[in-house]
Amino acid sequence: MAVKPNRLGAAEALSVSYEETTKIYPDADAPAVDALTLDVAAGEICVLVGPSGCGKTTAMRMVNRMVDITSGDIRLGDHSVLDRAPAELRREVGYVIQQIGLFPHQTIGQNIATVPRMLGWTKEAIAARVDELTALIGLDPELRDRYPSQLSGGQQQRVGVARALAANPGVMLMDEPFGAVDPINRERLQNEFLRLQAEVRKTILFVTHDIDEAIKMGDRIAILKEGGELAQYATPAELLMAPADEFVEDFVGSDRALKRLSLMRVSDINLWQAPLAFVGQTCAEVRAKLESAEVPHALLVDSERRPLGWLSDRDLESEVVPARADSSPDPILDVSDVLRDALSDVLQAESHYAPVVDGSGRIAGVLSLEIVQEFLTSDDALTDEHPAAERPLTST
Amino acid sequence: MNAASFLPLAQLGDDFFSDRSEASCIRDNGAFCLDWVVDNLDRYVAPTQEHLVLVLVSVAIGFLIAFAMALASHRRRWLVPPFLGATGVLYTVPSLAFFFLLLPITGRGTDTAIIALTAYTLQIIYRNIVAGLANVPPETKDAARGVGMTDRQMLWRVELPMALPEIVAGVRIATVSTVAIASLAVFAGGGGLGTEILDDLTFRTGVVVVGLILIVMALVFDLLLVLLQRRLTRWSRASDAARGVGSSRLGPLRRPAWTGR
Repeated sequence: MAVKPNRLGAAEALSVSYEETTKIYPDADAPAVDALTLDVAAGEICVLVGPSGCGKTTAMRMVNRMVDITSGDIRLGDHSVLDRAPAELRREVGYVIQQIGLFPHQTIGQNIATVPRMLGWTKEAIAARVDELTALIGLDPELRDRYPSQLSGGQQQRVGVARALAANPGVMLMDEPFGAVDPINRERLQNEFLRLQAEVRKTILFVTHDIDEAIKMGDRIAILKEGGELAQYATPAELLMAPADEFVEDFVGSDRALKRLSLMRVSDINLWQAPLAFVGQTCAEVRAKLESAEVPHALLVDSERRPLGWLSDRDLESEVVPARADSSPDPILDVSDVLRDALSDVLQAESHYAPVVDGSGRIAGVLSLEIVQEFLTSDDALTDEHPAAERPLTST
Repeated sequence: MNAASFLPLAQLGDDFFSDRSEASCIRDNGAFCLDWVVDNLDRYVAPTQEHLVLVLVSVAIGFLIAFAMALASHRRRWLVPPFLGATGVLYTVPSLAFFFLLLPITGRGTDTAIIALTAYTLQIIYRNIVAGLANVPPETKDAARGVGMTDRQMLWRVELPMALPEIVAGVRIATVSTVAIASLAVFAGGGGLGTEILDDLTFRTGVVVVGLILIVMALVFDLLLVLLQRRLTRWSRASDAARGVGSSRLGPLRRPAWTGR
């Protein structure tokens, strides 16, 4: 990588620690951020979320001193941000804003090269880094010589991220980065960003007012109340399972249960097993298995254990298992499906059970409405931690 | 005494005026006597050069002063109103009055002319630089600060380049106006094409020639500055194209008839 180490401690992600950080704007009666104490582990995405006026943006902007800290401190790794000249500090902290703020008079390549140029990298190092970043954000290399206005909003936002990543900062600040993008593109940008983060592993402070985005993007979520008071700081699953108070409960919304399902994959829960029946097997054998089974129906599979269909009682009345089952096995789910989508498929098919297959199409278990229900009330949903970045929630 | 001594012109005239149209054109004080112009082109070279110098020096000094004022007031916004007021007064004073006001102080000569012309350009150029800098979107400045630019870096790398279209536009207006007003420099003893007008106000061809030279000079300056502006601000035309400004796609005109239903 054409990356130079920087003074804050090389290209490594840095932890961010708020220590009683307070911001009181001049002429304001109440603090915008009140003695915030918060630790963000290196390499994690921490989402700051809350209603407008909760101080989330102020809290974020104090990290690179775009907003002066009134009292308290913020440490990046072992260094206090107060020990650094603001401009110098900002070159080592990535910064992405909703309005993107690309420089319209510079080409895409020049925009991305902004910080490395200020840091005095050699021409070759800068060119190599720009190449690397355009590839990383999936931008056509030919667009490098275009001007920002010639790109779509989504492309511009990607370039904004690339510019922030250019000097390989240890920490990235993102202020509603996908807020101005239409819903379809936002979804795509979010997924792309999670894949990117899985590669670059930065410590990211991500501000949003959208709880769904927070749940999707965050390894941890800090919910702030008006006046910059921390209401809860927890993983998305914890937040949905055990909201700390009424404020958090309200903010998270009444569909918490469904939101939790979108954090999980089918493989995350203990599936039931259906009695399997192979073509040519005697039906007596299958009927015997059915008596002690979790699923009261036998599943016909081929020799590779790929589901062919559900066998009815009439199917099992004959001597041997028939080659065709009475009812289709659909919907067949994949272990990597998001639980919420899987549940939706089952409900839509007016089915009660659905076979789940692994990557090669072999039966892995059966999902039933009961297990989903049980799962939602169990502690598993709470204790399982699912760093969103590792497993972007796309069905692809 | 013969008739010839009383009527020297008439005597000359019979063979002089009759076979030379120039002469009759001059005698009739025609609007534009081409032959005379061709014969007398040299006399306009020096005044034109003087005129060029007046314009170039005044606009250059005016630009430098206005630019310095704009920089000074950029981070000290409270300076903008007094600066605008002061340059506004200079702009409003009629140029002729200004020349006469300066005469007792700086005397007659090119310096006096340049001082007055320069003072006249300040308002236009200063106002445009200030407007250009003020039009830089706040999010661009926020991003510039966020990537770690100092105030000075932000000014030279972001704000001034983005203000260039407005700045060059100001210089264009100032230059073209100065081409016209510099014709009055003659009243301050500053030379220029005004001398040729003042030389014989009743000689129509002379006045027309000066007018034509002034028009051509203004057009050439304008053209050069437009070319400069295009060169310096390719990005801004890219934005226009992206927005469909100036393109041939005139949406509403080409909308198919059925969209109205």
